[in-house]
Amino acid sequence: MRKSTWTWSRIFTTILSLVVTGITIFPLVWMGLAGFKSQEEVLAAPLKFFPTVWHFENYTSILHDPLFQKAMGTTFLGAITFMILSVAVNAAAAYAFSRLEFSFKKFWWVYVMTTYFIPGFAITITSFVVVSKLGMLDKLAVLILPGVASAYSMFFIRQFYLNIPLALEEAALIDGANRFQIFTRIFLPMSLPPFVIIGIGAYLGYWNAFVWPVMTMTNENWFQIGQYIFNFRSGRVAEMHLLMASSFLAALPTVILFLIFQKYIVANLKMSGLK
Amino acid sequence: MFKKNFRHDNLAAYAMLTPILLGSTIFIIVPFAYAIYISFYEWGFYQAPVFVGFKNFYVNLTDELFTKAIWTGLKFTLYVLPTQLVLGFLFANLVKGLKGKFASFVKAAIYIPTVIGLILAGVIFLFIYDYLGGLANYVVGWFGLEPIAWLAEVRTALPAITVPAIWTGFGITTLIMLAGLLDISESYYEAAEIEGAGTFGKMRHITLPLMRNIILFLLVTGFTAQISQFELPWVITNGGPVNETATPNFYILQHFLNDVLIGRSIAAALMFFVVLGAISLVIFKVLNSEKAVDG
Repeated sequence: MRKSTWTWSRIFTTILSLVVTGITIFPLVWMGLAGFKSQEEVLAAPLKFFPTVWHFENYTSILHDPLFQKAMGTTFLGAITFMILSVAVNAAAAYAFSRLEFSFKKFWWVYVMTTYFIPGFAITITSFVVVSKLGMLDKLAVLILPGVASAYSMFFIRQFYLNIPLALEEAALIDGANRFQIFTRIFLPMSLPPFVIIGIGAYLGYWNAFVWPVMTMTNENWFQIGQYIFNFRSGRVAEMHLLMASSFLAALPTVILFLIFQKYIVANLKMSGLK
Repeated sequence: MFKKNFRHDNLAAYAMLTPILLGSTIFIIVPFAYAIYISFYEWGFYQAPVFVGFKNFYVNLTDELFTKAIWTGLKFTLYVLPTQLVLGFLFANLVKGLKGKFASFVKAAIYIPTVIGLILAGVIFLFIYDYLGGLANYVVGWFGLEPIAWLAEVRTALPAITVPAIWTGFGITTLIMLAGLLDISESYYEAAEIEGAGTFGKMRHITLPLMRNIILFLLVTGFTAQISQFELPWVITNGGPVNETATPNFYILQHFLNDVLIGRSIAAALMFFVVLGAISLVIFKVLNSEKAVDG
């Protein structure tokens, strides 16, 4: 006898999953809707789910705020640069550690891996001293360069490279290719999966950073989006409808990016954390 | 000439390693060594350092607010982490039964709060906890209760800010749990069914033992992440009411931003780092003491 595809337990599972997913997403929907409400309505009791009048001008006014535009622009620019540098620097090191033989290899390996065990907050303050002595304050470089070298990313890419068969490059070596050519022509084209994981992680890490930008960026024109939202929260919290609209807009690029790449992220979660 | 040296690639290797070595040295090793050094000094941006021995550490240890901050961090972690693990585990078991497009939809949707970051999560919950027009008091009203000043009352402030922490971590916890569940071979469950094991028995004797390493991983990483929390108090409560939500990192950063001398905040950061490392180690040892079953 064939089981019917819609058993009670399956219906129950589906409904319960929908409810949990709905609750998880709800705060974001609530934020988006609040952005359409008027200042009086957004915190008025009793609550209404939908705005009585849809105030699209809340969103357009945020979009036209030059500080918001700059914050989104520089954060995006910084995040993309950070992402590219993170992948490039750590992939190059991963290749050297996984494939090349060189003097003091063991020493440098331990040296780099040690940094993995130094937690960021233990060095936040002294890193600030270092970058201020280097004259990097209030420049976009201060947000990008300090986080690029990452033992975690390097290790992650290295694990992937260790699984690439040696035969491929031995043939190329015999044909006279040098190590750089092997890296760029054989390894790089195969590296998309780890690069997507490390790249998205770097992008999100940059986009959601908060304390470091607050410490190192004092020029309003170079504020990052997290700082913009936080300043909005501190200075204009009475305008909750606009705070919600700007936060919703700030979340949007991340969410869209995530939805585009979620297949990779979800499929590789295990690879990233556990093995 | 034909004998190309396959063993030594010093030039190529050092060219490829230079960026990571420079970055690690300038932005991690030097600041760390510097932190250890300066924690023994009284030092500000406008004066020469003066050696003070262990005074910075002593000042922190005798500051009630510092010890309170450590307790606050532990309490916060104790609220968030078990809730997150239990919810993630239960929901992962549910999602495991879903198929195809719907499963992908659920997996993507629950992960979204994780990617938007803690600042935005904080702002959303600031709005939800609003006394007059917030969603939380609206829901409380359904049960005929009086509105609560969630963020202003000592009793509710810390639990209130755990909710966004649980919310943002729920998706990733579930997905990591799910990855672990999918790794467990169905044949174990089939064998157990033949032996007459029920849902609970299978959970107790197959799922949990085989998930041990994943739960351990989530415990240690989750512990570090939650006790380091400062964004949520920063955005939502500013550490209040009366320092009730001032977590260790919140305390350290506030001191750094407000004090003239920075040796003390650095000493606090280092001490917190040691406490944290020690507790992670204990968790790891305790859970690893019984040998994990091989899957």
